[in-house]
Amino acid sequence: MTTYIIRRLLWLIPVILVVGAVTFILMHNTPGGPWDTDAERRQVDESTRKSLEAFYGLDKPFWRQFVAYMIGDWNNKGEFVCGLPCGNFGPSYRQRGVPVQSILFRPPEDENGNPKPWYYSRFGYSLRLGILALTIAIAVGIPVGTIAALKQNTWVDYLSLLIATAGISVPNFVIAIFLIIIFASGLNWISVVPRSWDSLSVWILPATVLGFGTLAFTARLMRTSMLEVLRMDYIRTARAKGLSERVVVVVHMIKNALIPVITILGPALAGLVTGSFIIETMFAFPGMGRAYVQAISQRDYSMIMGTTLIYAVLVALANLSVDFIYVLVDPRIRLEE
Amino acid sequence: MRKLSVVLGLLVVASMVLAACGAPAATPETIVQTVIVEGTPQVQVVEVTPEPVKEEKPAVLRVNAGTYPDIIDPQKSSFVIEIGHLKLIYQGLTALNEKLETVPGAAESWKFNDDATQLVFTLKKDLKYSDGSVLNAKRFEYAFQRNIDPATAGEYASITDEIVGAPEWRSADTTAADYDPEAYKAKLGVKASHADGTDCVDYEDTACDTLTLTFSKPAPYFATIAGIWVGYPAKQENIEEGGDIWWTSSKYQVGNGPFIWQSVDPFVRSVFVPNPNFAGPAVPTYSIEYSYITDSAVAFEAYKNNEFDVVASMAEDLEAINADPDLAAQHMQWAGSCTFKIQFNLQPTWNDKPNPFTDKKVREAFALAFDAEGWVKDVDGGLSSPTWTWIPPGYPGYDPNSPLKFDPEAARAALAAASEEFNSPEKLNALGLKMAFGDTARNRVRSEWLVANYKKHLGVDIALDPVDTTTYTAIQKDPNTFPLLSRGGWCADYPDPQNWLSVYWRSDTTFASRPGYKNEEFDKLVNEADATIDPAKRMELYKQAQQILLADIPAAFGYNSLNHYLVKPWVKGIITTPQDGMFPGDTVPWTITIDTSMIP
Repeated sequence: MTTYIIRRLLWLIPVILVVGAVTFILMHNTPGGPWDTDAERRQVDESTRKSLEAFYGLDKPFWRQFVAYMIGDWNNKGEFVCGLPCGNFGPSYRQRGVPVQSILFRPPEDENGNPKPWYYSRFGYSLRLGILALTIAIAVGIPVGTIAALKQNTWVDYLSLLIATAGISVPNFVIAIFLIIIFASGLNWISVVPRSWDSLSVWILPATVLGFGTLAFTARLMRTSMLEVLRMDYIRTARAKGLSERVVVVVHMIKNALIPVITILGPALAGLVTGSFIIETMFAFPGMGRAYVQAISQRDYSMIMGTTLIYAVLVALANLSVDFIYVLVDPRIRLEE
Repeated sequence: MRKLSVVLGLLVVASMVLAACGAPAATPETIVQTVIVEGTPQVQVVEVTPEPVKEEKPAVLRVNAGTYPDIIDPQKSSFVIEIGHLKLIYQGLTALNEKLETVPGAAESWKFNDDATQLVFTLKKDLKYSDGSVLNAKRFEYAFQRNIDPATAGEYASITDEIVGAPEWRSADTTAADYDPEAYKAKLGVKASHADGTDCVDYEDTACDTLTLTFSKPAPYFATIAGIWVGYPAKQENIEEGGDIWWTSSKYQVGNGPFIWQSVDPFVRSVFVPNPNFAGPAVPTYSIEYSYITDSAVAFEAYKNNEFDVVASMAEDLEAINADPDLAAQHMQWAGSCTFKIQFNLQPTWNDKPNPFTDKKVREAFALAFDAEGWVKDVDGGLSSPTWTWIPPGYPGYDPNSPLKFDPEAARAALAAASEEFNSPEKLNALGLKMAFGDTARNRVRSEWLVANYKKHLGVDIALDPVDTTTYTAIQKDPNTFPLLSRGGWCADYPDPQNWLSVYWRSDTTFASRPGYKNEEFDKLVNEADATIDPAKRMELYKQAQQILLADIPAAFGYNSLNHYLVKPWVKGIITTPQDGMFPGDTVPWTITIDTSMIP
């Protein structure tokens, strides 16, 4: 088991290198650069552009910029500046000079000037929202899918199909604005703009909207998987043995039906943590999804590299954790050499 | 049956909880009253329920600011949202009044020398930062030095290039072994001193009240530039202590503006409270809360829910606003700071083909065929204003006289009078005309409307060429890739015709050289105007220059932006200016009051 874990973690290194290289090449080959802001504004002049390029190392050869980011390089003063291995994601181009790791991982200060806990950082907010969204998706999606399978071709099944179809096909910004109008403007149960994100109640709506697509997909997948398991011989045997329906469903059916669902939950969590741009825009949520998308349009190279690599690591770690959950759910599965 | 019991049980619990969450009833009190009954005083004990005490609401202006600023650093910021934060915290040497006239800010007076190559500011007495520390001329000296320092690399660094030594320092090779920033600083035409010219001691020197700026050429407009954000006096020690992230902390952003940046919850809320040490016309009587909702539909809902006092209105909301008498009464609209145009590529060739816009008659045809009023109505929903001139209304130098106007018949006649290779729609269509634009939903609507407009009035086919927005900016920077037709514009940095004419259209500027505009007579006039001290003569020269520009028709002049906001009725005393950026009246925010008794 330990060897397996170490081997999987070591695989992260070539993954990061390849993802980093592809991202680096793509972003530098995209037309436009970080100084190409709104055309109706004063643009960066030649002297300033040279100063900026010297500061960010854009005047160095392409390969050297990549090595400087992924490993490190010597600056103009002859000092070695360690790159990614030291957790240095580089300085942001838009938030001039602020390290990307500060933008994503440094929490703001409280009223006394002391840093708040880590989960108040942009990454922390996105992680919490993603976990809550996934929890809602699992807590609702799995039971809905299970019940739909057990009550196949009844109104329960059709209702779950409706929810699943809506979740997959309706864009989440449409769902978001509808829910805001209903629960905030209409019923006044919550405010449209949260005063603070410290209470759990303000998280419910954005987490629900964010997780709705995953909930829908989970419900459909669970239903399909349950229908397959329902027809297995061992289920007929369990019933024939006189086991109660509750035991048959919970102990024998759900556990076996969960395997395909678990497969998608890992990458789903990674996607929920970083793919929340729409939710952050609609709810003014202080996460990192917006940073990711804005970085691309702003050509903020360091931010693009940093957030892409974080996403890659999250997906890899999520897939690794999925492998462990398999073992828990299905004793037949072993993490063999 | 069991399931029904569970459901019923849950309903009972829920109703108990909901009931418990109701507003607490007022508690009756026992009081003793003396009641006069026909001249005989009698003491009676009665029970009354007192009226609930109405809690006084704080005077807070809640504004939706939109996007959270990328950087709030006076010498590095360049976007409206960033400047909108800075001008609450700081004040420059000069300021603008409600007529956009340059008036005293931190400086009580200023004086040019005879040929406007030197400008001496005298600061107000006893200036203080919001934390009570001394604010003297040395702070402003540091601000201008920092703006020019190539290590800062601010996007507006070039705006102070008139200062002696500025262009040289900014273009210095900072990687050279012998680079010495102190040597460049010593040659810079920025000097803080006592009134008698002797050197200032340090930042605590209260007698250090004079700042002298020396220019490489006459700059009679520089008093206005001295008031913009690049000259805001952020504290050197705070910047050095905080490092690259100094600006993210309200602890380090100690300023001299009308407000103090009290707290910030990034991407959620910023709170500004009045600065009692503000040396402006008055200390504001309210606080400000900026929230950062980027989705206009959500902001509109929040406004209707009384969670905001001010939000920008969008064209999509106009129908709902106009249908509601209350919202309609709360809608404010006034002249903005931008002019937009359809820019023509004026380079000799385009895509290795003859460029039709080198022919003035073709330009005239396209300019006269642009239905500006139709654009305002159909594309902007009434949230802009048609124009046929360059400098917008409300700005010094505005001149409504223009040889251009919407006249499709004259447009077709102009096209027919063009040179042989361009004098018909068929000949232009054979060239394969294209219009580039940054691909957003709004720009797509604009571009499709324009293409249809030219098809209708000139019979010309123009292909749309959408590109990513950053790519769009990039292609406009290179004369070789500058689009044949493109929508563009300019928003005022400061209210002076120099910013509209010399900065934008003089042939050696990037804005003019990229599309290829060049007129020697125009250059001569604006150069002369830039160096003229007499204000009336200066304005006359700029007026003549603008007329030359309009007669050249380098673009189809277009439309002006309008500022449009929804404002709650308890926000009073607003005086708007075209230069307002974040909320109505933010140029002179001290006139605003909040009538808290009206807040529900």
